[in-house]
Amino acid sequence: MLIPVLIRQFIRSSVTRFIPFVAIFPLTVLAQSDGLNSSAHSADAINTVAPMATQSPEVANLLRKMATIPHTLNYQGSFTYQHKDNPALQSFRIIHWVEDGVEHERLQHLNGPEREVLRTGKAIGCESLGDQLLQGKISQFGANLARMDQLYKFEIRGPERVAGREATALLALPLDQFRHSSLLTIDNETGLVLKSWLVDESARPLERYQFIDLDLSPEIENLREPKARLHRAATPQVADCNPTDAKQAERWNLVWVPPGFAFVGQRQVRNQIDMLMYTDGLTTFSVFIEEASGSIPEGVAQRGATLAVMDSLRHANKNYRITVVGEIPVVTAQKIAQNIAGI
Amino acid sequence: MTEQTQPPVLAESLSALMDNQASELELQRLLKALDSDSELKSTWSRYQIASAGLKGDIPVLASSDFASRVSAAIEAEETYSAPAISDVAEQTSVAGSNVVAMPLRWWQQAGRVAVAASVAGAVILGVQQYQTPGANPADMAAGTMAAAPAPAVETKAANLPSGINAPALSARTVAVQSGYESRPQESRRVMFVPRQQVAPVYNEDVSSYVNQLIQEHTDNASLNSGQGMLPYTRVILVEED
Repeated sequence: MLIPVLIRQFIRSSVTRFIPFVAIFPLTVLAQSDGLNSSAHSADAINTVAPMATQSPEVANLLRKMATIPHTLNYQGSFTYQHKDNPALQSFRIIHWVEDGVEHERLQHLNGPEREVLRTGKAIGCESLGDQLLQGKISQFGANLARMDQLYKFEIRGPERVAGREATALLALPLDQFRHSSLLTIDNETGLVLKSWLVDESARPLERYQFIDLDLSPEIENLREPKARLHRAATPQVADCNPTDAKQAERWNLVWVPPGFAFVGQRQVRNQIDMLMYTDGLTTFSVFIEEASGSIPEGVAQRGATLAVMDSLRHANKNYRITVVGEIPVVTAQKIAQNIAGI
Repeated sequence: MTEQTQPPVLAESLSALMDNQASELELQRLLKALDSDSELKSTWSRYQIASAGLKGDIPVLASSDFASRVSAAIEAEETYSAPAISDVAEQTSVAGSNVVAMPLRWWQQAGRVAVAASVAGAVILGVQQYQTPGANPADMAAGTMAAAPAPAVETKAANLPSGINAPALSARTVAVQSGYESRPQESRRVMFVPRQQVAPVYNEDVSSYVNQLIQEHTDNASLNSGQGMLPYTRVILVEED
């Protein structure tokens, strides 16, 4: 899919003024290739991808660092965050520490009302499927799963200093139209993503964040108790640790899954809504299916970088509401939503 | 009585003026005509919007083919084979029947918000077009093209200043001092475009449902996309949880 001439003007005029890296979105690279065989689908929702050259060792090393080291560290940092639908620049503090082999995390809103998200309980060494995919640990899944370099064209853009630390900028351009591009600036020492841009197929930024400072030896004692009255505990785990084989969804089957996305797991949330989770290592989406009565709104909803396509499905004489949620392009979400079948 | 067709000579001069290439004579003729001819004024306004859109200066629904639609609309007008547009509402619908205003992209807003920060009162010019929540979900789902864009376009036309001020439509100042209520409301707003329609509507049920699902999805995203807790920045935390 080629970028039309007029989009180039958008990029030059609007994006150029504010992003020093305008050179990193070369349009020739953004012109997507049809290298991946996205039309061959297997029934079990994992697509076969044509093998390509193996990933460069520097890129593989960066991804490995990103997936492994941050889990083991104590750190505290502040960062700013913006997404396309809200012009306000938000700031957050993130705190992470390990105690007794268990990860503890806090994300605090630094502006607006005090709010906090906590997460505790993920054991070190419990790797999620996403972490495994980033490291290329897919051999146990057989030939069906794609390596990261078959899904994204990775390019190291060079060293960059962020939050006073040395880091490396890594560009991940999707090789098909089913996921977004990102620019990740990964800390050389800790593997933390210190700066990130998520950009859509029109080279329009969807969201971005950037660390301002990072402290690798925070005083944990003061940080244990949640500070904000309004806080939410997040789930430390959504699926099994260190998965060793490809799983299948129950009760529902995604007849079409974008190439390279693997099934993470399934759980029930809220009032009996089935949630099917997928990832390709960098991009994730979740499919929510619940029985519904009355009229079911259908359409495309979005807030910031996240898109939700709502659709309906009739199965076994009942109506179901389907919602596909993820930081994915609308074509992906719509195609997924239109190709779901009950088992 | 106003003419139905724009004299080609004037339109060409107008176009030349946009490119800073009008001669003295053309300029004089245009200024005289602009005084009395409301059609010419509207044409000028449309040219301004289209050109601003191409440069990314106005709030637009940045769908990937917006730019091509704008250029297609301009081309349709320049040939003058299409019937002349006689009122503002219709005009905006030609150039933007599939365009719905959205908040300015944040990097364009940055400067404006800084200026507005000293203003103590929320002023939102009606660029964001949301239908009232009274719309029945069933109606929305079954809605036709005709129904939905019409209110959006009309309201946009009502706010559209005429003439050269067209790009100023994009000004959207939000108070920083007015308390927390306005901000969380704004940032938790989910844009929802029902099937068969092109204009986003605001539907409270859809909005809160989607926000809840985003919360659940973020559990997946934060564990499986290599970015730790960061995805939780997308989650709206509200008291009723």
